[in-house]
Parts: sequence; structure tokens; C-alpha cells
Amino acid sequence: MRPILMKGHERPLTFLRYNRDGDLLFSCAKDHTPTVWYADNGDRLGTYRGHNGAVWTCDVSRDSARLITGSADQTAKLWDVSTGKELFSFRFDAPARSVEFAIGDALAVVTTDNFMDHVPTVQVKRIAEDIDDQTEESALVITGIKGRINRAVWGPLNRTIITAGEDATVRIWDSETGQLLKESDKESGHQKTISSLSKSLDWSHFITGSLDKSAKLWDTRTLTLIKTYVTERPVNAVDISPTHDTVVLGGGQDAMNVTMTDRRAGKFEAKFYHKILQEEIGGVKGHFGPINALAFNPDGRSFSSGGEDGYVRLHHFDSDYFSIKM
Amino acid sequence: MAGLAPEGSQFDDKQYDKKMQEILTEDFFTSYDDVCESFDSMGLQENLLRGIYAYGFEKPSAIQQRGIVPFCKGLDVIQQAQSGTGKTATFCSGILQQLDYGLVECQALVLAPTRELAQQIEKVMRALGDYLGVKVHACVGGTSVREDQRILASGVHVVVGTPGRVFDMLRRQSLRPDNIKMFVLDEADEMLSRGFKDQIYDIFQLLPSKIQVGVFSATMPPEALEITRKFMNKPVRILVKRDELTLEGIKQFYVNIDKEDWKLDTLCDLYETLAITQSVIFVNTRRKVDWLTDKMRSRDHTVSATHGDMDQNTRDIIMREFRSGSSRVLITTDLLARGIDVQQVSLVINYDLPTQPENYLHRIGRSGRFGRKGVAINFVTRDDERIVFDVQRFYNVTVEELPANVADLL
Repeated sequence: MRPILMKGHERPLTFLRYNRDGDLLFSCAKDHTPTVWYADNGDRLGTYRGHNGAVWTCDVSRDSARLITGSADQTAKLWDVSTGKELFSFRFDAPARSVEFAIGDALAVVTTDNFMDHVPTVQVKRIAEDIDDQTEESALVITGIKGRINRAVWGPLNRTIITAGEDATVRIWDSETGQLLKESDKESGHQKTISSLSKSLDWSHFITGSLDKSAKLWDTRTLTLIKTYVTERPVNAVDISPTHDTVVLGGGQDAMNVTMTDRRAGKFEAKFYHKILQEEIGGVKGHFGPINALAFNPDGRSFSSGGEDGYVRLHHFDSDYFSIKM
Repeated sequence: MAGLAPEGSQFDDKQYDKKMQEILTEDFFTSYDDVCESFDSMGLQENLLRGIYAYGFEKPSAIQQRGIVPFCKGLDVIQQAQSGTGKTATFCSGILQQLDYGLVECQALVLAPTRELAQQIEKVMRALGDYLGVKVHACVGGTSVREDQRILASGVHVVVGTPGRVFDMLRRQSLRPDNIKMFVLDEADEMLSRGFKDQIYDIFQLLPSKIQVGVFSATMPPEALEITRKFMNKPVRILVKRDELTLEGIKQFYVNIDKEDWKLDTLCDLYETLAITQSVIFVNTRRKVDWLTDKMRSRDHTVSATHGDMDQNTRDIIMREFRSGSSRVLITTDLLARGIDVQQVSLVINYDLPTQPENYLHRIGRSGRFGRKGVAINFVTRDDERIVFDVQRFYNVTVEELPANVADLL
């Protein structure tokens, strides 16, 4: 597969997200300007200007009308996808890290980092249909988690919120009361910072990537550990194919150490594993810095990776990929 | 590449080490051993921390762990670290921590050897200091003198500039030194070399006698250290041994080319590979930049070029195009050997080997920046073989022959 290299970001990539229809790809980077691309040919459609800091994550509404972004400038912003107009800004006391719309797009979950005296939080914001009715008010604030919360996502039917982060623990919370329902097992679970989390298409299971050089597959309702994928590099990004029994892992050594060690130590390939058999199927090379973001297109026929090197790489799968037999 | 070092080598490692040892054993430096593993533990003010995290930093690099705090305490500092490992953010943070934001007068002066580098530093300073309301101005040649005077008159906290323009502004009293209490030399060994030393001296004479001095560079030869003694007061030093300066993440190769005339064909053969990512091609003279650019374009290869003789507006446009990825292959002189940080550069070609030893490290340090591996390719004629040998020995690095599948390296 010949990758399409997408140039537009002047600093490292942090996050990638396709819209539901799979025709748009949104990228976030440390250069303040989330960008939207045509997902088929990698042409740049536009950028969203207004943030004053690195942008860590984004999410797009089901109808592709709204974009939400979380940024290190201590705000999360709502945007009109087609015009690029900033619709609203939620302000926080600390960098905003993870953002995700709930089913129905009436709610969004946002996490904020620990910053000086401020503890990390998970906050639920109501999203108004009419932007004039939008307020900053939080419907729920969850505290008590030690360490940065790298990812927070909605569980099935918006009844729960799943969090994961620096303390290596996955937690499931009641999204109305904020009560902690389940916590991942310390022994079988991750041993180091969880960097990333991605849900299956039907949200019945999800995968987490960790600096402990593994990724793990969990049942969304019971938080049972289903599978573990072992690699030889810290994992910064993970995703689950929507159409095939494959998962993809990406990462590489810590950005701080990359220039200090021989190039063979980088391990910047995106690695594909069989979801059920836990065996490595293959890898895709190309980035010259750690991979920080990965996403499958909802049609399952392509995927994108974003790296510390500032590139987004779009790969359409060869026919071989679709006929893999294990 | 095997064999004995020919006589008369510029890269005389024994002489270098002997001089360095003499300087280091003198009672001139202050000891400072503290290491801060997080930005939060450095005692920085809240709005500076906000700026640091907003920039996208999460953990301090090695030089930042050791280097930010002594600078914040008002100590003179000499800080050396490998290319692309965070020196700029170190002195920017140190300056921003100490400014009095209620006083809109120039309180810190940063000097850099090139206009492009000064503009880059100004951008980082502005970003990190955004929540503090810092006013920073890039005072560089080739731009409107009147505009500089107007901006300086309206008041700024920090000036980042090139020596010529800064001296001119000081001389005209458009830039008043009365409140300047911090003076930083970036790429300090270049600034203290023959080309700039007199200008630096002239500027320093105009600054207040009680001033904090910081000098920063990836290369810090003993000659530069010697000069710092004349204007620094018991500095805290962070130095790296010469054989640890090279970044292993930058793979270095050579191509044997018997004659100078054949370099162009070799470059054209590599062009398809160059254009995959972003590349910088270094040659030694401005005239040669123009020559090589014309030759490449006449063979239908798209290239950009920049050097010191071009007018500033053109230089700015070319840098902007290169940074954004609109252009991918840039031919230049050592004007861009130091400091310039472009995210997607992963390949450096030394079409001519550098005449100054330190510039070899600086040139290849344009790829292999923080978090990214890089590749450097040296075009070696018979006359150049000695230089490659010397580089390998002096910096304790291996330069291998370029394999056929060079595209796989990128």
C-alpha cells in the first residue's frame, strides 16, 4: 500500500478521528489548529482556528455538523464543521485533555489535567441544540482520580463513562451519579500509564494502549479483560477495525529519547494484530517519530496514523489484507 | 574510511581535550546539581506553567530539568546540550520567570546569529509567555528600521535580535538598556567567533554592568569558553563531552564521488527520495547555492533556496513555505545550519562538507530533532576523505557507506 502523506501540521500530531460516514478525517496537533481532510484522497478541507495551545483530542457529532476539541489552553471548544466557525468555548482551570460526544450528541464528556493545585476531573457538559442556549455548566464532575486522565469515553446507552490514564487503571462510572462502578484488576491490568483507548463499533468492547508495551481488550459492561497484545514498544495509540477481527497498535520509544538512540530503537511502525488470536499479522512503516494517533476508517478499508514527525499518513488496505486467513 | 589521521587535522581531539581540561579545573564555575523532574516542581509562576503546558510540553527534557531553575535564580549559566533537545525553551522559561510585567521596558536581550533563528526564538518566547502578557519583539536586519523604532518606543519586555540591528537600535537610543538585566547568547560559540565577537563586545559595553548572562549552544569549544570568562560571573555550567554530542538517532552516511563535477548527478539520482519528505541541502558558498538551484531547476527538479545575500522578504517567504511543507527541498548555506527547527525535516545532505568542524554537528542537527529520527548524507570527494575521517574520530560517530535502498531510511 502506497501511503498518502498529509502535510499541514507544523508540530506533532496528537489525535485522529473519522466522522461516522468515514468521508472526513479530523486531525489534532500541538500547533493549535485542528484540521479536516477528505478521508479518501487526503486533500485538506480546512482548519479550525481559535485555540491558543496544543489540541489533545476531538470528536465529531453523528451528523458531522459539530466538532468538539480539547486543548492545553484550558478550553474545550465547539465548532461548526462546515464553516469552521467557533460556536462556544468551555473554560477550565487546567488543560482540557479528552473530549467525546455522547450518543445523541446532547452531552459531552471532558477531562481536565492535574495542574498546580487542581486535581484531574471528568466533567459532563450539556450540549445545546441551539447554540444560543449553550452554557458552561457541568451536569456532573467526577474527582478522586490520581494522575492525568488521558481518555474518557461514553459507555453503552450513555449510562456509563469509562476512564483511563496515568495511574494505569481503567474505571467505569455511573454517568448520572458519578459513582464508581468497576475498576480494572491491578494484577492482570496495565502496569503503566494508559495512553489511549478506543471502542469497537458496537461499543461492546474497547481496547487500551499503555506505556507498559501492551494493549488490552476489555468488555465494556463487565470490565473483564478479554485479550492482551504484547509488543516491544510503548503503545501511544490503538484502534479496533470496524469490519475485521484486527486491532492496530502504534507508538515507539519516548519522544525524549528518540534522538539519543540508534534508529533501530525507534520502533515507529503501526502493528496489526489478530483481535482474537492475539498474533501479530503485520506492520506498516513510514513515520520517523513515535506514532501518537491511529484511527480506522468506519468502512474498514483504510486507516490513518499521526506521528511526532508532524505527518498524517493515510493508508488504503491492499486486497491481501481482506483475504487474511488465520 | 580506515587508516591513520593525516597530519594537520582541524579536528585535533587531544588538543581540544587538553584545553577543555585546563579550563574546567579552574575555579571559575559554580556547582549546581539539582534536577527537577517536572515543570511543577521548579517553582515557576502559574501563568508561565500555563504557557508551558499550552505549548504542548508535558515533561522537561534533560537540559530543561537541570537548566531552567539556575537561570530563574538569576545565576549566570553556560548550557550545552545536543541539537533539538530543548535549549530554547530553557532560556525562554528562565527569562519569562524573571520579568517584571508591570514594567514595559526591555528587561531581557537575546542575541542569535541569524534572522531566521531570532524570529523562531521570538515565536517560542511569545507562545510560552502568552498567559503572562509578554511583549517580545524580533529586532533583525533587513526589516524596516522605522518600524523597529516604533515598536521599541511603544514598549517591549524582551528583544530577540541579530547583533547588527540590535547595536544600531542601541546606538540610536531606540532601545534603551537601562532596565536590561538578562542577556542571552544563543548559538554562543558562533556569536563569540571572529565574525560576531566585536559586535557582541560593542553591545555588551552598552548594557548595565550588573547583568545576568546566559550562553547556550550545542557546541562549546574551549575557545568560546575562554571568552566567556571576560563577561560572566561564576556561571553554572552544563557541558557535554565532545564524543557524546552526536545524536545516535541521526544516521550518517557518505557517498564516494571522485570528482566535484559528479555531485550534481548524484544529487539528481537522489532527488526522488529527497522529495518524499523534507530535506535540506547544504553547500558552502552563496554563489554555489544559486548555481546548484539553477542546475536542479534546469533538470525540472523543484527546489527552494535561501542564503544571506537574498532580500529579507524573499527569505521570509521561503522559510514560511518550507515550514508549512509547500516546498520540500531547500538548498542553503550555513545560514540555516544552526537552530532552525522544521518539524518534517528528516534528511540533510552535505553537498559540500563544512569548513568549520562544529557546523557538521549543527547541519545534521536540522534533522533528528526532538522525537524524530533523521538521516544525513555526506558527498565525499577525494579531497574530503580526511574531513570525514576526522569527524568520525572527533565526535565518536560512524559514517557508513550509503546503501542502495536509501528510501527505506526515511
